[in-house]
Amino acid sequence: MNSLSTLSLSSFFSTGPFTWDTVTFFLGGMGLTCLLIIGALSLGLVLGLAMASFQVYGPRWSGLLVSLYVWFFRGVPILVLMFLFYFGLASQLESLIQSWLRSGLPAPLKSLLRFCFGARGSVSPFACAVLVLGLCSAAYQSQIFRGAMKSIPSGQFMAAKALGMSSFQAVRVIILPQVLRISIPAWSNEYSILLKDSGIAFVIGTMETMARFKAVASSTYYYLSMYILAGLAYFVITWIGVRLLLALYDRVRVPGLAEVQSADIL
Amino acid sequence: MFRKLIVIFALAMVLSVPALAQDQNKVYINGIDANFPPFAYVGPDGKPTGFDVDALDWIAKDMGFMVEHRPMEWSGIVASLKAHKIDMIASGLSLTPERATQINFSEPYWTIKQVVVVPKNSALTLEKALTTGLKIGVQAGTSDAKAMADTNGKNGREYELVEYPNSALAAQDVVNGNIAAAVMNDAPAADAAGKIAVKIIGEAGIPNEVFAVGVAKDDPDTLKMINEGLAKIMADPYWQELIDKYKPGEAH
Amino acid sequence: MGDPILEVKNISKTLGGKLILNDVSLSLNKGDLKVLIGPSGGGKSTLLQCINFLHYPDAGDVLLEGFSAREMGRRNISAFRQEIGMIFQDFNLFDHLTAENNVAVALRKVKKQPKKAALERAKIELARVGLADKGGLYPAQLSGGQKQRVSIARALAMDPKVMLLDEPTSALDPELIGEVLKVIADLSESGMTMLMATHQIGFARHLTTEVIFMEAGRITEAGPPAELLNPDKRSRAADFCAKLSELMGSN
Repeated sequence: MNSLSTLSLSSFFSTGPFTWDTVTFFLGGMGLTCLLIIGALSLGLVLGLAMASFQVYGPRWSGLLVSLYVWFFRGVPILVLMFLFYFGLASQLESLIQSWLRSGLPAPLKSLLRFCFGARGSVSPFACAVLVLGLCSAAYQSQIFRGAMKSIPSGQFMAAKALGMSSFQAVRVIILPQVLRISIPAWSNEYSILLKDSGIAFVIGTMETMARFKAVASSTYYYLSMYILAGLAYFVITWIGVRLLLALYDRVRVPGLAEVQSADIL
Repeated sequence: MFRKLIVIFALAMVLSVPALAQDQNKVYINGIDANFPPFAYVGPDGKPTGFDVDALDWIAKDMGFMVEHRPMEWSGIVASLKAHKIDMIASGLSLTPERATQINFSEPYWTIKQVVVVPKNSALTLEKALTTGLKIGVQAGTSDAKAMADTNGKNGREYELVEYPNSALAAQDVVNGNIAAAVMNDAPAADAAGKIAVKIIGEAGIPNEVFAVGVAKDDPDTLKMINEGLAKIMADPYWQELIDKYKPGEAH
Repeated sequence: MGDPILEVKNISKTLGGKLILNDVSLSLNKGDLKVLIGPSGGGKSTLLQCINFLHYPDAGDVLLEGFSAREMGRRNISAFRQEIGMIFQDFNLFDHLTAENNVAVALRKVKKQPKKAALERAKIELARVGLADKGGLYPAQLSGGQKQRVSIARALAMDPKVMLLDEPTSALDPELIGEVLKVIADLSESGMTMLMATHQIGFARHLTTEVIFMEAGRITEAGPPAELLNPDKRSRAADFCAKLSELMGSN
């Protein structure tokens, strides 16, 4: 079996060690990757919005804290963070969760904890990956939203307050809806970048898309075709996600709303 | 409308986490190398499989506990064991003095030789491969990689080591021509020789190794359980069945 | 006429190291329309923004119907601001909301009115400023004059006791100034208490009860328009207005 034959369709589909199980295996990996991304992006969204708000509208010391956070997560490689978190902090987190579960916290909170982390309060590799990727993404997303917030004339914030809204209300009702709309193009970039980064979750044991293609490639030596398929898989996920985001962008568009540097995505 | 989206996202985030949280009942987690045939690897159907995997499944069934095989990056596997993320390592783990200071080992269950692999149609002799400064591939983080590095430059040995995430990749690169040869355990070498155009030309001149199951130092119960299980399976005809099935060490 | 509805007492404010407002005081009775004039940088905008505590004055206080803003404290200051309407030179409409929603949003979020009631009120206010049929348009689709009128409707919907107008027509094209001034005049005639910073001297002259001249952070002259703007009297105000009239053509 040389590399040429691995490309020929017949050897790929007819003989060879591949079965329908292989297909479901890969699809499962893609599903896992999607869950990973959704979790990380949402965590990043919530944190990123909060941090951007503090940077632009909050007191100076909070803005400083946010800057520190961003510098840290932009500077330290995700791989290092994964290891640090999984082998280091995760056990501390687990002890913390376990002590919470034993303490006198209200029941619904405890069930939520158990729901996320299991009865033993253990941090699974998947949970850890979502956390680390989410925290990293938050750093980048906060800067996207910060740029968007700054492009909204500050007079609107003043007008909102003059009408009697609190700063918090003004941000939530006036600033955020505009920020979210105009950030969509830049955010779809963050989506596609995070998707590529998600492959790193394998180092702590999550069998996501990349890991699965690699594993099958190693055991069957069909390297070229597997890696081409892997590339295709990521391309498809990226394409679908960006298309959805652009459709969303069109739907919520408001005539005349200031547009931040939009990455022109096809 | 946006608020709804944000709520959906937040929910998705929270819900996706437990989807793969760990089990509630005690399931022993065996960390395996995803790419170390024939001892432990992930087959094209996506299931962890291999000599060690099947053996452990038999032991688990016989002794009445549940086991889950978790493929992971080899470089982090000992750290995972020490951090109690996994309960054992039954995946072609070599018993070395350095590792023994970090973790405990069961009784050895297999002896492994380190062999040299070259392209099928290569005229390279063992001596030439090891003494003429050629590029030789090894799996990063393995004991044979370390042994090769330690013996480089001594007794006339002269080569340039190139590290790979797993031995299968090293074998593949031999075929590609990026390296002249690769050194790995005889079992994955035989596996490779059966699948791609490489052949084994002899032993690599570094000490033989034994495989044993790795267990955390503060986990004597699991260690006892594994040793019991190993003794049982090695006395059972199933052991020979496994050897026949996976033929570790022979080209097949 | 009774107690003043708005009392500004000894306001001082330093911004960026410069003393912008230096011990400024004034008061408004119910129904007054007072006009602030003076050179740019004199502190007019800052004064207006201090009156509703958008900027916290370093010293001094503002009393609305006897209630002190300082005593309300930071937490309750939004209650104070609800009673004071503000119109900005740059309109500051909320770009992502239609004209109707611009007017209704504060009613819903601050006064907690139900959606339907808020929209009803919004339509009424828009009709009052002559924009009944423009409710469904977005700010980007409106002319400058229309935008400013929407912002007036937005402020009026909150039933303020006092309105502060910060150069409401300075950003408008000349042909659009008239429609806004008309709305302001109508408001004044219906009894709204207003303090307006403006360069529109002609307008001021006829409608105001008092002209206040501000320069370098202090009120230097104040008095009824007939006196202050009388070209025969040698006043800074009159000089200033004369220069303005030259630049803008006679009015």
